[in-house]
Amino acid sequence: MSIQDILLQQLANGLILGSFYALVALGYTMVYGIIKLLNFAHGDLYMLGSFVGFVILSILSPYIGNSWAGILCSMVLSMIAVGLFGVLIQRIAYVPMLSAPRLSILITALAVSMVLYNGVMAFTDGQYLAFKTDLGFEGLEFGNVFITYTQMILVGASIILMIVLYLFVHKTLYGKAMRAIAIDQDACRLMGINVNKIIALTFFIGTSLAAAAGIMAGTYYGSIHFFMGFVIGLKAFTAAVIGGIGSIPGAMLGGLLLGLLESFGTQIPFIGTEWKDVFSFGILILLLVFKPTGILGKTEIERM
Amino acid sequence: MKKTLLLSSVGSALTGLLLLGQVATAGDLKVGIMVPTTGSEATYGKDMENAINLAAAEINKAGGVLGMNIVTMTGDAACDPQQATAAASKLVSAEVTAVVGGYCSGATMPTMKIYGDANIPMVIPAANSTKLIDINQGNAFQINSTGFDQVKTAVGLFKAKGINKLAIIHQGDGYSEDLAKLTRESWTGMGKEVVAYEVVNKGEQDQSALVTRIKSKAPDAVFWTAYYADGSMVIKQLRQGGYRNLIAVGDGSNSPKLLEIAGKAAEGVYCFSNPTVEYLPAAKDFHKNYKATYKQDPDAYAALSYDGMKLMVDAITRAGSTDKKAIIKALAETKDFTGIAGPITFTDKNTLARSNFVILVAEGGKWVLNK
Repeated sequence: MSIQDILLQQLANGLILGSFYALVALGYTMVYGIIKLLNFAHGDLYMLGSFVGFVILSILSPYIGNSWAGILCSMVLSMIAVGLFGVLIQRIAYVPMLSAPRLSILITALAVSMVLYNGVMAFTDGQYLAFKTDLGFEGLEFGNVFITYTQMILVGASIILMIVLYLFVHKTLYGKAMRAIAIDQDACRLMGINVNKIIALTFFIGTSLAAAAGIMAGTYYGSIHFFMGFVIGLKAFTAAVIGGIGSIPGAMLGGLLLGLLESFGTQIPFIGTEWKDVFSFGILILLLVFKPTGILGKTEIERM
Repeated sequence: MKKTLLLSSVGSALTGLLLLGQVATAGDLKVGIMVPTTGSEATYGKDMENAINLAAAEINKAGGVLGMNIVTMTGDAACDPQQATAAASKLVSAEVTAVVGGYCSGATMPTMKIYGDANIPMVIPAANSTKLIDINQGNAFQINSTGFDQVKTAVGLFKAKGINKLAIIHQGDGYSEDLAKLTRESWTGMGKEVVAYEVVNKGEQDQSALVTRIKSKAPDAVFWTAYYADGSMVIKQLRQGGYRNLIAVGDGSNSPKLLEIAGKAAEGVYCFSNPTVEYLPAAKDFHKNYKATYKQDPDAYAALSYDGMKLMVDAITRAGSTDKKAIIKALAETKDFTGIAGPITFTDKNTLARSNFVILVAEGGKWVLNK
């Protein structure tokens, strides 16, 4: 492989990884945008999404198989189920804390995260589960750059989800209400917008996107376990900060940038793949110090 | 049985008479078993105890050793140095002639001093830290291979497959880094090339950057020295990324879970494993008897434990007495003892002369013995 091929392959790797990060980062950023909560349980909802998808797929696979039809069905069902679960968490854990100091609700989010992953750990005995699918390794070769059909479909699916989300937020009345609440909740109440309903809807959408990413990851990587949400939660948070937390296009951009950064970072001579996380979190620290609003963020962020 | 022995020839008849005489005077032969029967490692310990007792029962059924009946006594090492020390002292004061056991290296080490001071012959079937070699007073014999041996087996496979450029991946923990380092030293020592020596973070799902990095170095083989959980994802993504050459994994990845998670990608992957019963053609009868006696399948160290007891009895027979010095001498002189886990001959450091690691290959979603 020539250096050019390697860089092209890393570009493809970075875009694939980045689209996962972007999907998860979207949930972070939407929730933050609307109620200024850093939902640290978001990574665990991603994990929960993959487990729910796993259960649904094992139930459905005798009827529709383990291939794309089965994966799509279980993805949609898991997005709905986990999305509703996200709303439930919001009602139980976050709504009572909305008027409390910001730090309290942040700690609540951490507690929710622990409850989720410990719960799944108890259910699965801490075991790795094999996410079995019938997807092959066939793909297209562009010169020396190799991309499997699975990768193409997964990236395509996340791009579609992002486009749908963008249209929803910008072209529908609900989306308009969301954007309005992000600016001024009290004014929205005065205008007759059902703020609680819109916040719940935001949680639903954000969580179901995380669930979708969780199932895609299960399909792609082939194994799931209770702690898989931890690292991606941190990475998605980083992506959201890079793009400007609270901004939806920012989260997409941040996710892709982070994916590319990690892929290309490992290509720097004399630095091994073990430095991957140093890049992502180093960038996070630099951004928080020098430009806490991120690339596309507008409002000043209160640092915690 | 004794009757046929008497009748078989004059020589053996004389020996037989001698044996019968000893039954009357010496009585039982006490052999201590040192394994953890409580605590986190209890399942392995119980399994070893079962296998050793099965060997003893078979020997007793066939007439015992030197005409004596073997009586085993178990000391619970609990995988804890303090408990193991107490258990060892108890076995010594119970006047055992020999000891078979040792699972956790950390708990086995302090007991070696106790048995060494009492000059009790000891066969260690499982514990295989290289530290055991240094504190051995000459009475203990290790029949499990050490980490060095896995490297020998690995390098042997790579050589046989005509590999020149090797890529090694580990996870930075003591076990996988050690194996990676030793393999690299051994491989470069042979004048061959290690084109990639990579570390991956634990729990990282996406390995595409690593895969591209490895692919760009075009290795003939990739050796994953760490555990199955992340190994299965590395294998899957290597194959997804279009890497087609050989992949091998260390014994930490010896799990059916690896095959389950990596699926089709794992086909043809090589794995190095301790000699467990299911991969030993010579252990078929043992497997059957074990299952009939204990209503469960033998675990990882059953075959070696069984061999340990059989070897001890073989040495006592060759020594012709229960004199501890004579038994130790006989153990040291062991040459090609046929155990179910393979032949046993010792080095001058009382470790196994050859590697007993077996090479497995993934075929149809299962680990099977290579060749």
